[in-house]
Amino acid sequence: MIGGRRPLQGRKPGDRRVRLERPHAPYFRYTGRGQLTAREAASAPTTPAGRMWASIRGFFVGRPLASEDELGERLAKKKALAIFSSDAISSSAYATEEILRVLILGGAAAMAFGLEISIAIAVLLIAVAVSYRQICIAYPGGGGSYSVSRRNIGRTVSLVAASALLIDYVMTVAVSTSSAVEQITSAFPILFDERVLIGVVAIGLITLGNLRGLREAGNIFAVPTYLFIGSAMLMIAVGTFRIVVLGEGASYGPELRDQVTGTIQPLTAILILRAFAAGAVALTGTEAIATGVPAFKPPEAKNAATTLAVMALLLGILFIGLTFLAVNFGISLIEVPVKQTVISQVAHEVYGDGVPFYLFQAFTALLLFLAANTSFNAFPRLLAILAADDYMPRQFALRGDRLAYSYGILVLSSLAAGLIVIFHGETHLLIPLYAVGVFIDFTISQTGMIRHWLRERSPGWRRRLSINAFGAALTATVAVIVTSVKFFDGAWLVLVLIPVLVGLMSFIHRQYDLQAAELRVREEGLLPGPHREQRVIIPVNGINRAVVQAVNFGRAMTRDLRAVYVTDDLDEADALRARWERQLPDVPLVVVESPYRAMISPVVAYLDILDQAWPPDKEAPLTIVVLPEYVARHWWDRLLYNQTSKRLKSALVGREHTVIADVPYRRGH
Amino acid sequence: MSEPQAPAFRRAVVALNGGPSDERIVRLVAEHARHTKAELIGVHVVEIDWTLPLDSDIAGRSEEVQRVLDAAEAVAEESKVRLEPVLLQARDVGAAIVDEAVERAADLLVVGLPYRKRFGGEFAIGRTIPYILQNAPAAVWVVRDPISEEPR
Repeated sequence: MIGGRRPLQGRKPGDRRVRLERPHAPYFRYTGRGQLTAREAASAPTTPAGRMWASIRGFFVGRPLASEDELGERLAKKKALAIFSSDAISSSAYATEEILRVLILGGAAAMAFGLEISIAIAVLLIAVAVSYRQICIAYPGGGGSYSVSRRNIGRTVSLVAASALLIDYVMTVAVSTSSAVEQITSAFPILFDERVLIGVVAIGLITLGNLRGLREAGNIFAVPTYLFIGSAMLMIAVGTFRIVVLGEGASYGPELRDQVTGTIQPLTAILILRAFAAGAVALTGTEAIATGVPAFKPPEAKNAATTLAVMALLLGILFIGLTFLAVNFGISLIEVPVKQTVISQVAHEVYGDGVPFYLFQAFTALLLFLAANTSFNAFPRLLAILAADDYMPRQFALRGDRLAYSYGILVLSSLAAGLIVIFHGETHLLIPLYAVGVFIDFTISQTGMIRHWLRERSPGWRRRLSINAFGAALTATVAVIVTSVKFFDGAWLVLVLIPVLVGLMSFIHRQYDLQAAELRVREEGLLPGPHREQRVIIPVNGINRAVVQAVNFGRAMTRDLRAVYVTDDLDEADALRARWERQLPDVPLVVVESPYRAMISPVVAYLDILDQAWPPDKEAPLTIVVLPEYVARHWWDRLLYNQTSKRLKSALVGREHTVIADVPYRRGH
Repeated sequence: MSEPQAPAFRRAVVALNGGPSDERIVRLVAEHARHTKAELIGVHVVEIDWTLPLDSDIAGRSEEVQRVLDAAEAVAEESKVRLEPVLLQARDVGAAIVDEAVERAADLLVVGLPYRKRFGGEFAIGRTIPYILQNAPAAVWVVRDPISEEPR
């Protein structure tokens, strides 16, 4: 390259210089001694099909981001609130309805307990939020309850926590999407029959948004979250003003009042417990921030803790406010002719039948779709942490072109879409499976934190320990209530799935452990060179350039090499032998006659007899099967060549003491 | 209207000597170039002894030489500016830098000056920078390294 370059003449005689080309520059950058860093061009596909796929992917998902861009992809508090809190905040859209759905069985007297139940759930929310703020600060690496319990309790319990979380994240996507679709069908009943399709398409769009990366997902999803918060707060303010100041409001209708007469106290207590369990769905998503601490901009832990506090405050106000309005406006469930959600009825009562009502419905539906987005951030992150600890396949720890955990995102969307199809997009059918895992998870994480404080004994540990102990006792009680009241409605399925997942993860871990033990090399001392004898076997189809190249490759490795020719035509074999001995006399040719015309099995059988003939007191040799291969010029003519080689390769893969070496012959080489 | 802090330029040649001053001068010029959308050309010259042919394969094979340009390119990228790396072999570093700047029609030449002392304690400016100052048709910025120790 340099030799062919003419020196450039400078301004003065004798001032000459040579400009050197730098062929590595488009693809690599030297970043240290013996260290290269690949640039975007080095990662670009080289085949036309690969390039086409990359441009299609680029159109939908965006251009690939380098790992060093990761910090730029981190979330500021405002975006993080939208991304990680949409799940928790959106549950205010259906938690009230779930409470009223149970209380309606007890009539108007029971319905009046709605507000008290929502306040009790808000107290629970405060306990959980305070506790998770502590987790954010103590475990800034993320992973939430899994990391806490793994460090402080033990492997099995941490896997139970992880399984419960994984199930709940899938449920979050399914429940929030189907609930969003219900908001749409409440406003536009004509779309009711298309609810499954709308739900699946929505999950597809959210998947696409998340595959584009965290920051872009934040840009897409932040606005609807804040629109919902703003319009819901306005609705609560206007509604409360009308009820408290103007004295408006309504009582429950006569059909509900008539039910009051026969209400028995124990039944009401059970109803209240059931309603409490149903409304506890409001807490789902609270743990997502603790799982995703590393997604925040520095200082990660502090920002995550602040975001969590803001989220809990907003959720508390929205949930209590909406329940207050629903109870005071005498709103109950309307299922026929078309379901009207409680929140849509409250909005209708406050905003009337005009544009503000439809806007609010649109914001609610959008937020509920985005609630799924919280899981799209937390679920893949948790899978990645589990994969890094060898409890899930390692591909889940790999980040895609846009620094998102693409495999986890795709698995989550497939599972959630499957649930929507199976349950026909009916939210109340999915709800019983929901919120069971999350309370198991809350309890485990807080118990883990108790042990954390007992071990660390850092300043203020007694106060922190008592917060976690109170939280653990509270959430454990709720876990028992939620599980028992929802057990026969579907919670049993979660209780079956958790041990199945724990078993699966333990199995994966054991497999990786076994592999690591098999591959382990001692850390001390020099590693010696090869000590086993090697022999080379070259299956041939005649004498041609590809075969000669393969023979020369074999000659470079060992003297113990032989060619094997399998045929059913002995005349042809004789002709080949005559030519072989003339042209390649130093390489023995073994002719295997195959009267049954099989081409592959005789080669394998020949290798077997070579192995058997090896002296039993000597270490088995390494057999290198060298396959001459003709490189096709076009994708379509690949079908014409190397088919026998491919079959032979499949037959030999995994054979003991055997290495397969392809020696490709390219035109002009 | 206030005076701009530094004169605007369209195209700057940044002479890279492989020392610690490279990062400083690239960052400085890149910050200016980002606002003016100016072009940056990073030039590293490997001096070839008269005993060897000028086009002998010296710099192309050296990982260390390539690293000088790659590091400068990376620093410029951090400031969201593209720097075109140019690797030269020449008998005289100063002449090669000036000739490259002339050929590229650069209107600014930036050189780093390490703070070095001759035996005896006198500040040594070397011969490349005086040559550039005398011969470069473009404006020249000389950025001297800070003095790490207080002179006695």
